[in-house]
Amino acid sequence: MTAVIAQTEDEVATVVRAARVTRKPFEIIGAGSKRALGRTSSTGHAGLDVSLNGIVAYEPEELIISVRPATRVSEITTVLAAKGQRLGFDPPDWGPLLGAPAGIGTIGGAISCDISGPARVRHGAVRDQLLGFRGVNGLGEVFKAGGKVVKNVTGFDIPKLVCGAFGTLCVLTEVTLRVFPKPPRSQTFVARDLSPTDAFALLRKVWASPLEASALSCTPAGAFVRLEGEAEPLADKIGLLHSLCNSVKLAASDDLELDSIANGEIFVSTDENVWRVAIPPSRAATVVEAVASPRWSGDCAGGIVWIATHDHKKLRQIVHAAGGYATLIRTDAKARSDIDVFEAEDPIRAQLTRAVKKAFDPLGLFNPGRMWDGV
Amino acid sequence: MELPQPNQDIVARSADIIAALRALVPDGVVGEQAELAAFDGDALTAYRQKPLACVLPRSKNEVCAVLAFAADHNIPIVPRGAGTSLSGGALPRADGILLSLTRMNRILEIDLDNRCVVTEPGATNLAITRAVEANGFYYAPDPSSQIACTIGGNIAENSGGLHCLKYGLTTNNLLGVEFALAGGERVTLGGKAPGANGLDLLGIVAGSEGLLGIVVEATLRVLPTPPATRTLLAAFPSVPAAGQCVADIIAAGIVPAAMEFMDKRCIAAVEAHCAPGYPRDAEGVLIIDADGISSEVDDAVYRIGEIARKNGAAVREATSESERARLWAGRKAAFPAMGRLAPDMLCMDGTIPRRALPQVLSRMSEMAEEYRLGFCNVFHAGDGNLHPLIIFDVMKGDELARAEAFGAAILRLCVDVGGVLTGEHGVGVEKRDLMPAMFTDADLDQQQRLKCAFDAGSLLNPGKVFPTLSACVEQGHMHVKDGRLPFANLPRF
Repeated sequence: MTAVIAQTEDEVATVVRAARVTRKPFEIIGAGSKRALGRTSSTGHAGLDVSLNGIVAYEPEELIISVRPATRVSEITTVLAAKGQRLGFDPPDWGPLLGAPAGIGTIGGAISCDISGPARVRHGAVRDQLLGFRGVNGLGEVFKAGGKVVKNVTGFDIPKLVCGAFGTLCVLTEVTLRVFPKPPRSQTFVARDLSPTDAFALLRKVWASPLEASALSCTPAGAFVRLEGEAEPLADKIGLLHSLCNSVKLAASDDLELDSIANGEIFVSTDENVWRVAIPPSRAATVVEAVASPRWSGDCAGGIVWIATHDHKKLRQIVHAAGGYATLIRTDAKARSDIDVFEAEDPIRAQLTRAVKKAFDPLGLFNPGRMWDGV
Repeated sequence: MELPQPNQDIVARSADIIAALRALVPDGVVGEQAELAAFDGDALTAYRQKPLACVLPRSKNEVCAVLAFAADHNIPIVPRGAGTSLSGGALPRADGILLSLTRMNRILEIDLDNRCVVTEPGATNLAITRAVEANGFYYAPDPSSQIACTIGGNIAENSGGLHCLKYGLTTNNLLGVEFALAGGERVTLGGKAPGANGLDLLGIVAGSEGLLGIVVEATLRVLPTPPATRTLLAAFPSVPAAGQCVADIIAAGIVPAAMEFMDKRCIAAVEAHCAPGYPRDAEGVLIIDADGISSEVDDAVYRIGEIARKNGAAVREATSESERARLWAGRKAAFPAMGRLAPDMLCMDGTIPRRALPQVLSRMSEMAEEYRLGFCNVFHAGDGNLHPLIIFDVMKGDELARAEAFGAAILRLCVDVGGVLTGEHGVGVEKRDLMPAMFTDADLDQQQRLKCAFDAGSLLNPGKVFPTLSACVEQGHMHVKDGRLPFANLPRF
C-alpha cells in the first residue's frame, strides 16, 4: 500500500481532485491506530496520510479549542489539563485493543470513529461537542460547517454527521470542540460481588440522582462510580452516594481501573470477537446474562455493553430483542469481511444513508465500503 | 423582504386539493379563507401569508398520507407546531399546504428507568416536564415560549433556552425520532439505546428547520431535578466589567445553570414595565443561577459573588423564592417591556465569542444612531448568544426596512467577530439572505446537496434557510415528475 502525505488543506484538496480524475478511491489515515475498525474493504486502497497537526486556537474562557485532525488526543488532553479543562467525551485509547501502540490516536480518528469514554455519561458523546469543522468533500472542495462558538444553529448540523462516519463523507482538516471544566477533585468507588442485575441497577440509581457522576461503568469485578467536585461538595456527594447505595459496600477505586475498562484491556488477550452493544440501559443485565460470556464490561449506566463472543448470530438476536444494536469492534480479517460490522439497515434508511454519502462523496472516493457496501 | 410569487398552477387547483386532503384527513382540513387567517404566520410577525390549506392530522399515517399526496402533485409542504418561531420557519406559502402537528400532542410513554419520554410532536415543551416532575425529573431545554411551543418545533429549530450552556440545546437532549420523509415513508433514527448505528442522521434532523422531513414521534432525555438553586443579581458600572466577570467565572471552572445579561436600556424598560428591582443606575446586570446539590451550589454562589465583586459589581442574592421569581420575571419580561415602547419589534439572535462583547455592544450603539432606531440588549452571557431587540413602527415610513437593515448589520457584525448568525432561533426566512455572510458557496452547496438527499423534489419548506434554491438536478439528484422541473423558476422570498 502506498500513502500520499498531505500536510495542508490545499494539499488534501489537490489529492482529492486528482483522485476524481483517476477515479481511484483512497483510505484516510491519521495515526493509523484504528485501521482495524470497520469493514476491511477500504483498507486495500492507496492511503491518504493526513498529517495536519497542531492546535490552531485554544480559548479556555470561551470553552472551545480548534485543532488540526492529526493532533494526538494525548497532546490535547495535556494542553487542556494545564487550564483545568478536559474533553467532555473523554476519548479512551483503543490502540492496544486494535493491535496498535498506545498513546498515538488522533482527534480526527476519535471523532470519525465516535469514540467516547466514561465521562460521556455526564457530558455527552463526541457528537455533542464537535461545534464545527473544515474539510474537503468528494468534489475536491474545501468547505466548513458549524461554527466556533458554543451555541449555534445556523444551517444544517453537519458536524454531528461526521462524528462516527468513519471518514466516508469528507476529509477533516480542522475541528472545533467544546471543552469542559475538569473539577479539581474526583473519587471513584467500586461495589464488588454484585450480580449483573444488581450492578446495573445500582448504576442506574446513581444515574437518576443529582450526583452528576462522570463514570458509571461495570465489569464482572464490580460497579464503578466516579464523583467529582470541589472538596466540600465532593464530600457531600460521597455521603449521598453511600446513602443511595444502602447496604451495598463501596470501596475506593481509581482512574486507572476506569481507564482500563474504557480502553478495553480485558479484551486485549481474547481470541473471541469483541462487540460494542448499545441498548436501553435497563436491558444491560439481560443482554450480559443471555450472552453468558465471562468477558464483558458496561458503560453509560448500561447503555453501552462490551462483550466477547464468537456467536454473532446469537448476540445480534439478543441485542435486537433488547431494543439495541451491536457493532463489531475487533476480530480477525476473515470474520471482518464475513460478518456485518455495523447492523444492516432497513431499506428506507439504507437508501437515505447512500443518498447522504453521495451528497458528500458522489464518486465514492473516501474509505469506500468502510461501513457498508457502497458507503 | 418580498413574499414569494405563488405557483398559479397549484393555486388554480386549490378546490381540488382541499377536497383531496379532506378525503385523507376527514376532520382536519381548514380551507376557508376566513379560518385560514388564524394560520397566516408565526412569531416573526412582520410577515403574513395565508396557506393554500391547513391540515391537522391526528396520526402518523395521516401525516404520511398528506406527504405522499403532496409529492404526487408537486405541492409544497410547510410544517408547523405552535407557530412560535421567531425566524419565520412556519411562514406559510400561498401555494403550499400548512401541516400543523398540534393535534398529535399525546405523551406516549414515560420510561424513567431509561430516563426518557416518548411523545408525539405536538406535545408542548412544558408538558414533558409536567409529565415527569412529580417523579423528580425534568426536560432541560427551556425556550421562553415553553408553555406553547411544541417538541416537534423545538426539534426542527434545535431550540435552546436559558439553561443550555450547562444542559445543552434540544439536539443534546434528543435520543430518537420517527421521521416522515418527503414521499410519505417513515424511518426511525436513534431511540432509547445511545448513539447511532451508522451515520448520525438524527444529528442533522435536529435543527433542519422542516427541510428534511416531519418528526412524528420523539424520544427525549429527562434529567433528575437539581435539589437546590440559588440566584444572584450583579450590577456593573460598565459593560466590559460585566463581560470580564463572565469570562472569569468560566475560567474558574464554574458552569452556572443560567447567566443572563441585560444592558441599561433594557433595565430601564423592564423597570418601567414590572419593577423587578434592578438598579437603574447600573450599566448592565447579570442574573446568575447556580443549581445542583446544595453544598455545590453554595460553593458556586460564594465564588461567583467574589468574582463579580472583584469586577466592581454590587451583588445581591435573592433571599426568597418569590424574590428569585421576581428577578427572573424581569428578564423574561424584556420582550413585552420593549414592546410597550413601540408597536413592532425584531429580536435578533447572533452568537459571538464573549471576548468580543464590549466591542460588539459599543458598535451596536453607534449603529442604532445610524439607523435612527431604539434597541436594547439581552444576552445569554454564558454562551455568548445575543438578543438585541430592535423597536420600530411598521406603519411609519421606512422603519421596517431600517429595522431589517439594522438587524442584518448586527448579524454581519457577529460573523465578523468570529460568531454566527443564529444561536437558537433558526435561519428561517429572517436570516436566509444573510447566509452568504457566514458561508461560502461551497459551504452552502454542501448543505443543499444534503437537503436533496432527503427531499429531491424540494417540497419541504421551500424558501427557508437557503438564499438561492438550486434545483437538485445540479446536485445529481433531480427528481423529475411528469417531465417538469419542480419550481424551476421559483421566485425567491
